[in-house]
Amino acid sequence: MYGRRASQLVKEFSAGEKGQLSAYNSDMFDQVIRECNAHHLELQNLMRKIQDEGLDIQTTRNADHFGAVIHHLSLVRNKRCLMAYVYNRAELIQNLRWKAGPVLPPEIQEKLSYSEEEYFRNHSAALEAYMSELELDLTVDMVPPKDPYIQVRVLDDIGEVLLSDQSANLARHSMHFLKRSDAEQFISQGLMEELMG
Amino acid sequence: MASGSDGLGLGSEDYETLMATTDVELLKKAWRNEKASPEILRFQFNLIQRSREQIQLMEETVEELAESGADPLTVSLYQMDLDRVLFLLRSYLRIRLQKIEKYVIHISKTELWNRLSDQEQKFAKRCTDDLEKHLNQSVLSKLPYGYQSILKQSISSEEDDMGSLLNLHQARRLGHD
Repeated sequence: MYGRRASQLVKEFSAGEKGQLSAYNSDMFDQVIRECNAHHLELQNLMRKIQDEGLDIQTTRNADHFGAVIHHLSLVRNKRCLMAYVYNRAELIQNLRWKAGPVLPPEIQEKLSYSEEEYFRNHSAALEAYMSELELDLTVDMVPPKDPYIQVRVLDDIGEVLLSDQSANLARHSMHFLKRSDAEQFISQGLMEELMG
Repeated sequence: MASGSDGLGLGSEDYETLMATTDVELLKKAWRNEKASPEILRFQFNLIQRSREQIQLMEETVEELAESGADPLTVSLYQMDLDRVLFLLRSYLRIRLQKIEKYVIHISKTELWNRLSDQEQKFAKRCTDDLEKHLNQSVLSKLPYGYQSILKQSISSEEDDMGSLLNLHQARRLGHD
């Protein structure tokens, strides 16, 4: 009661590793919502009591009024904690789109609530609309380029692929000398790795 | 930037003035400014327009050069230069987009909105809509009546006091970072 559970929710979020999403705690979330509704009920009861006694709602300052204020403040505190929880998770989800691409791996997907999955899809679509309007893919070139060509080793069987300047047979464990922009999309999906040195 | 005279016969000052006005230098400057500034700066519409046209030209030149069988080293040097400029352009746009994502509600409500390009404004509008929908669905619709506003803590609030939570008070937030 009185904001304790809500602050637990927020603490759980901040205790997680920075940048990592933990599973959506819908149990605790629902409990806080139930508390909010309970507070609201009490608040309304007290307000009604003041009115029934024939006193003016706006100016009365008796015990009931202060009780109502406490319920109101707890409610607002719960609301802020819940909003903080959802909003900060939403920020992490935004970053996911840049790091992991348009499709989320299943281990991350099971940590999101339904609304968060929908948010991710909408956000992804907004980003893609912007990029296609500009005709520029902004998810490549995340680090400054050192060489136009890089050496890569293929990790998974991809098969015959037509690239911008050559066609190559990307069999597992084969090594190739590819254009950086071609290789980048495979590397970000984990199908290839760059060979340094 | 090399100091002292060089083979071109230009004094170092002239060389630097010349370099400072090429579009690549301007793009580098815009990129540096955007990277270093915590708030979003004015969109350099003309510069970006010109840069894209020059990149297009460069791409065609490199292709022709490659097909005409010129020295592969030369081709790859031109390609390298092209890649680096493309990186600058993409990074510039990317940094702006990420700032918009982060501070979208604040930007939508202040004069910062005018610093966005048309496409960025469209993106920002979609961002706000998505975020509001998500917050409403997850939290606000489940709360009692009178506490369902995004920006106000409750209907008895006189101003938008959910501010610090939603990155509205940028200055305060920057102090915490």
